[in-house]
Amino acid sequence: MNGASPGARAGRTAALIGSIAQTAMFAHAAGAAVVSVHVVGASGMPAADTVLVFDPLDGEPPASRNSAIIDQVHKQFVPRVTVVRTGTSITFPNSDQIRHQVYSFSPAKKFTLKLYAGMPSEPVTFDTPGLVVLGCNIHDNMVAFVGVVDTPYFAKTPPSGIAELNLPAGRYRLRVWHPDLAAAVPPRQVEVQAAPLTLAVVVDLANSPASVAAWP
Amino acid sequence: MPLRTRIAVTFVLLLAAVLAAAFGAVSAANHGNAEREVQRQLDVGARVFLRVLDANRRQLTQAAQAVAADYGFREAVAARDSDTLASALENSGARIGAAMVVLTSLDDKVIAAVGSNATAGMTFPVSRLPIGAARGDGRTTIMVERGHVYQLVSVAVRSPLPVAWIVMGFELDSKAATELADITGLAVTLSYQSGNAWSTAVSTAPAAEARATDLATRHITLSEEPGANVVATLSRSLADARAPFARLTDVLFLIAAVSLVGSGCAAFWLARNITRPLKDLTDAVDQMRGGTYDLPVTVQRGDELGVLAEGLQLMQAAVQSRDQSIRQLAYEDSLTGLMNRTAFGASLAGALAEPGADRIAVALIDLNRFRRINEHLGYSVGDAVLIKIAQRLTKAPAAGQAVARLAADQFAAYTRLAPDATLQNWGASLLSRMVDPVSVQAQLIDVSSTVGLAIAPTDAAVADELMRCADLALERARREKRVLAVYEVALKTESRDQLSLLGELQHAVDHDELRMYFQPKMEFAANRVAGVEVLLRWQHPTRGLLGPAAFVPFAEQTGFIRRLTRWTLDRAVAQGAEWYRAGRPLPVAVNVSADDIGDSRFDLRVASALSRHRLPPGLLTLEVTESGFFEDPTRALQMLDALAALGVILSIDDFGTGYSSLSHLARMPVHEVKIDRSFVLGLESDAEFAAVVRSAIDMGHSLGLKVVAEGIETEAAAARLREFQCDIGQGYLYAKPMPANELENWLVGKTRVPVVAVPVDFAVDDVTDTVTLTTH
Repeated sequence: MNGASPGARAGRTAALIGSIAQTAMFAHAAGAAVVSVHVVGASGMPAADTVLVFDPLDGEPPASRNSAIIDQVHKQFVPRVTVVRTGTSITFPNSDQIRHQVYSFSPAKKFTLKLYAGMPSEPVTFDTPGLVVLGCNIHDNMVAFVGVVDTPYFAKTPPSGIAELNLPAGRYRLRVWHPDLAAAVPPRQVEVQAAPLTLAVVVDLANSPASVAAWP
Repeated sequence: MPLRTRIAVTFVLLLAAVLAAAFGAVSAANHGNAEREVQRQLDVGARVFLRVLDANRRQLTQAAQAVAADYGFREAVAARDSDTLASALENSGARIGAAMVVLTSLDDKVIAAVGSNATAGMTFPVSRLPIGAARGDGRTTIMVERGHVYQLVSVAVRSPLPVAWIVMGFELDSKAATELADITGLAVTLSYQSGNAWSTAVSTAPAAEARATDLATRHITLSEEPGANVVATLSRSLADARAPFARLTDVLFLIAAVSLVGSGCAAFWLARNITRPLKDLTDAVDQMRGGTYDLPVTVQRGDELGVLAEGLQLMQAAVQSRDQSIRQLAYEDSLTGLMNRTAFGASLAGALAEPGADRIAVALIDLNRFRRINEHLGYSVGDAVLIKIAQRLTKAPAAGQAVARLAADQFAAYTRLAPDATLQNWGASLLSRMVDPVSVQAQLIDVSSTVGLAIAPTDAAVADELMRCADLALERARREKRVLAVYEVALKTESRDQLSLLGELQHAVDHDELRMYFQPKMEFAANRVAGVEVLLRWQHPTRGLLGPAAFVPFAEQTGFIRRLTRWTLDRAVAQGAEWYRAGRPLPVAVNVSADDIGDSRFDLRVASALSRHRLPPGLLTLEVTESGFFEDPTRALQMLDALAALGVILSIDDFGTGYSSLSHLARMPVHEVKIDRSFVLGLESDAEFAAVVRSAIDMGHSLGLKVVAEGIETEAAAARLREFQCDIGQGYLYAKPMPANELENWLVGKTRVPVVAVPVDFAVDDVTDTVTLTTH
């Protein structure tokens, strides 16, 4: 949805990650490496819930199938940010004593769960890549984000802001997203070799509940 | 200015000043009030206006939120189904009565619009709605479109994050303006700017008011979009605002006028209420000043004026009673209740002043010897006698028109004589009232009286003059020993002469004009000089030498005789002493009047003279007139005893003319009697006189007294007296009275009766010249 061209953003990205130190690591004997990504905010604090997506540029990634759970606790979706590979089914249990009606009008996945409590009858399968914003028809404040990606190589930073991935050697396009991004982070290319790799990402976060950053 | 007017005017002016001040203050306050009230109203109106807009906003916001929250609507938005959206917007707008509903994307692009010029794809200025920096739900703004003013609110459409804006607009039409006007109480006008021109979208102000100049206005800027300002104007006509105050002012003015007039009347009434009784009181005081005391002070009030009137009434009574007693004291004799001299004079003057006053007779009535009644019977008896006399004089028919008591023993009356009545008859009638003895405390007291009469206008026309005439008549009556005398014109001149005589006599004593003449007394038997009688002559500066008859009776009447006696006594004693010292003693005889005998200190005077000049008492003879015993025989006798005790010779003068009884004579310590010259003169021609003289001589001898005859002028008379064995003779036959030096010559060759005498020192202080003139 972002209309900015990748080429025009390249220079800025280079500046952003100019301090990245590359360390060779051997995660897999068969040409794979551990990639550690350090995400910090503009103030230097670790940025949690940052979605990191590595799209392989050389060949198709292997197929995978998995599932996820987005709980509803205290009128909040837990977790707030979820990243899944296309085709993943997500279950929406309700841990609250009250009912919720989970819905999405996002183009990537439109659905509505009937008002329910406890376990819904069926999980929802997300098979179109893109950002799905979840809401509760009853509780306007309940918002959750599901990033649906077409690659098995993705991560979400924990509170430490450091995510580690095992990536086969090769070239990747790194997309960075965070719901509170004030400025979009342009995708950049990362080449993974046999050695472990450490990447640094700086995100500019702003707390603006009424809007959400565009999905890269 | 009278008190009444002054009170009223002061009162009214004061009230007018207060009212004017109050009126002015209220008017000023009202004027300011109207302005302030309008400003306050505009302030409130502006706040209310904004509140109403805010309330509208809330309401619209809720409505818009309801639309935005509708799941179906959100689904339609999510689906971006333009037709569906348009119908949904129309439906929602109709549901809440919005005139305009526009749905825009987050970047202000119109997605769908109803009731607006906006079409899909246009940029709708929703971003301007939030007045703050950030967008949000329920923000409002005012927008003009096609000459209509809309209040817009924007609400985000969430799914669940904002995906679009729904903008709802409500027209501020005349209905809304009227509602606002009703709520604020102000005229509401909405104007907008298009380009440089201003247009009015809606207004509740009446057309006339819009033009009114005195319009208080408050502009509220609703939208500040450059070139498209929207302004709400709240206005109020100041005239309208002032109207109630103007009415208040009118009412106040009316109250002021009414109260001014009312209080003016009240003040005038009050003042009159005060001053009218004051006038009454003043009138009453005026009457009192005029001497009218019996008019009641007629102010019947319960207030201070009533008290004053009451006090005035009491004062009037007190003044009246005091006036009466003062009048009584001034005009009434407190003992008898008769008029006093003042009142009588006034009454008489009044009677004389009456028109046709004629033959007004005045009588002065003297009680004879009243002093003796007081002295012997006591003053209470004297007072009782006076009261009785007063009663007699006033007993009906009264003695006169008015009866008064002028002095201790003097009464007066006046009357208008009838044409046929005579003055004498009236006087006699007065006397007849006094004749009977007065009975006091079971005693009968003889009261004799003397009356002097005068009549107006013959004698005098004035009261004082008339009374003086009556007084002169009274004096004459007394002098002539009559009970009644009528005033004659001669009396007045006589009296005048006498008055001048008195002055001259006094002058004579002081300036030594009196001369002593001596007339020898001859002893019949041995033809020896027995002594001399001292006789006075007055060497008058103009009238020549005057004999005693010219002034002694007058001196006796006026009491001046005492002075003459003292003078003579002193000189005679001195002369006698001179002869005595010269070895030629010659008895000296001095005349003593009844008045002298009445002088209680006369014996002391004699003793003093004798001591002073060292003359043996036996060489002094005092010749006492028989009349000297009339007034008070007892006292006279006491005085004679005292004189006799001094050793002087006492002789009864004018023997035979008086009434002295033999018993009296027998008791008197006298040494000789002197037969009155009238008997001696008639001795030769009248046998009866001779018999009287003879028996008198015999009587004298039988009482052991020497007998002296005076007035012997012929040898024949002397022979008869000698024949009757009279002891001593005196008269022109022997010698005329002569001055001392002539006497000395005359005595040469004469034999004197031998005298053996020595002076006696009586150790008497000089008796001072205190003369007490008593009425006789």
